[in-house]
Amino acid sequence: MQLLIQTVIDGLLVGGLYVAISIGFSLAFGILDVVDFAVGEWVVLGGFAGVAAQTWLGIDPIIFLPAVFVIFALIGSLVAPLIYRVRTSRYARPALMALAFTFGIAMLARGTMLTTVGFDPRTVQTSLVSGTLTIGGVHMPWLRLAGFLFAIVTTALFMGFLFFTRTGLAVRAAAQNKRNASLMGIDVKRLSTIVYAIYAGLTAMAGVLIGAIYTFTAQVGPQYSLLAFFVVVMAGLGSIGGVLVAGLFLGMLQALVTVYIGADYTLAIVFGVLFIVLLVSPQGVLRRGLAA
Amino acid sequence: MTEGERKPSRPAALAALPLIILALVFGTLPMWTDDYWIRVWTGVAMWAGLAASWNIIGGYAGYISFGHVAFFGIGAYATAILMQPGYDWNFFLTLPVGVMIAGLFALVVGWPTLRLRGAYFAIATWALAEALAQIINTLDFTGGSFGLSTPGNPSTWFFYYAMLIATVVIYLLIFLLFERSRFGYKVKAVRDNEAAAQSLGINTTAVKLQAFMLSAALPAVLGGINAYWITFINPQSVLSGEITDQMVVMVLIGGLGHLWGPALGAGVLYLASTWLGAEYGGSTSYIAMIGALLALIILFLPDGLIGLAPRARGMKLIRKLLRPAGASVGDAPPGDRP
Repeated sequence: MQLLIQTVIDGLLVGGLYVAISIGFSLAFGILDVVDFAVGEWVVLGGFAGVAAQTWLGIDPIIFLPAVFVIFALIGSLVAPLIYRVRTSRYARPALMALAFTFGIAMLARGTMLTTVGFDPRTVQTSLVSGTLTIGGVHMPWLRLAGFLFAIVTTALFMGFLFFTRTGLAVRAAAQNKRNASLMGIDVKRLSTIVYAIYAGLTAMAGVLIGAIYTFTAQVGPQYSLLAFFVVVMAGLGSIGGVLVAGLFLGMLQALVTVYIGADYTLAIVFGVLFIVLLVSPQGVLRRGLAA
Repeated sequence: MTEGERKPSRPAALAALPLIILALVFGTLPMWTDDYWIRVWTGVAMWAGLAASWNIIGGYAGYISFGHVAFFGIGAYATAILMQPGYDWNFFLTLPVGVMIAGLFALVVGWPTLRLRGAYFAIATWALAEALAQIINTLDFTGGSFGLSTPGNPSTWFFYYAMLIATVVIYLLIFLLFERSRFGYKVKAVRDNEAAAQSLGINTTAVKLQAFMLSAALPAVLGGINAYWITFINPQSVLSGEITDQMVVMVLIGGLGHLWGPALGAGVLYLASTWLGAEYGGSTSYIAMIGALLALIILFLPDGLIGLAPRARGMKLIRKLLRPAGASVGDAPPGDRP
């Protein structure tokens, strides 16, 4: 029983970070109409940014987080117009081409990382947060708590941006119907750049924290992409509320599988659950997403 | 030679001339080259077949599969496992087994996802490939992460001809099914406008599923031949995502949804990578290069190399069908699923 509670709590804490990764990803999908295959690469690049801050600049990665956000938002705002261009082009099947395009970007990022840093596992070292909080026999490392807290705060800020600002209103309108949004005077291209930039920054920040909790290599991008996909498919593409539920659920599922079955089977089980969700409710857990 | 258009003014014999020359060159290749080049051309044949089979689902049916390596790997493992001492199957008998298993996997993955947007399908196939690699890594009878070896093998000639014949058969199948039959028209109709196809009484999900199963069964044959050829397989070699990436890139370089696109793309890319000496898995910069190439092609040469040919009307026709006047991104035409 003790182990079960511990496992569930561990899972929920990590699930918070999955929510942070997936929420921007889901919105980028809603507005660009493209599933970004590079999502996991942003996570890993963020992790490397944390390592770089610490080894070259001697700054603690946790303090460096805002800088990570700014750097990756800039990179994201360079990539977004290209994706937008492909997505709105006059090619045959622009939607598929855009998918393949982000796939190419992801490969480019992964190949470049592998070439420059190789296959060595890394961790983000931080001295700011250490120790463990123990409540009633359940151990919670402060680092994971900090990660969870970060995820909650950024998600809340992001939701605030979406629901209480004019730009956020425009984003939600464009996610619903781009043509009508542009008729109302919304610059969809500019907006999708903003959203993609925020998403890249958010994901990279979450990557720093994930890198502090788990070791990572330049190769693990696809695994995190897969987790983000899982969350977003389970939530229903484009559904923000569903992401909260699905992200926490995924963290829990992963922790339970690792403890009770074995880490080697995580992907297989996650895939199985995904399969059942697609079969039963393609609009996601809250039945709010877009499917067909 | 051109897509579904026959000019009565051009005699069929003239159209078949390049084909006859090609058949003569490749049919007699081992008699006038050394072993190294036979091996290279075996590779070209294999990749042309793989790219062509990916083109069925990607180009003709309009759904992008990012997990096609799973089917290649299934074929490779089916052959390797059945040829282990203790089973000792004949090599040719193992190929149908791989085909059946791959088709079954395609059925299971395609059935829930092919009725949804393309993004779901892309994600599901990708997840399948990743999950399969992980499972095979942990199982005993697949040799785990160490892998399996296949028994000593015949000459390079044998593999060259086996691969070539398999690929030629794949091409014939695709040509007959997708350029010359009702089934092909159905698949293309579903791709171009699903709602319209449905209203004409086509069972769209079934058609897509049939196309996907065919697209998945063919790489299994090539995977089986490949496993016998390289004598040793492990999850890193026959289930690595790079194999899928390369298939996708080859089709896009050549020309998506065009009969000859995959062969052209495979030939160009495989020969180029051999020439550059970038062997798979050996060089990480190769991944970055392929990625950059993919992005650049999509940005600047969306129809692939075939689009540069003077008579590439097939693609123009497709484009006209797919982009009704005044369509914007906001509400894509019903046939256009992200």
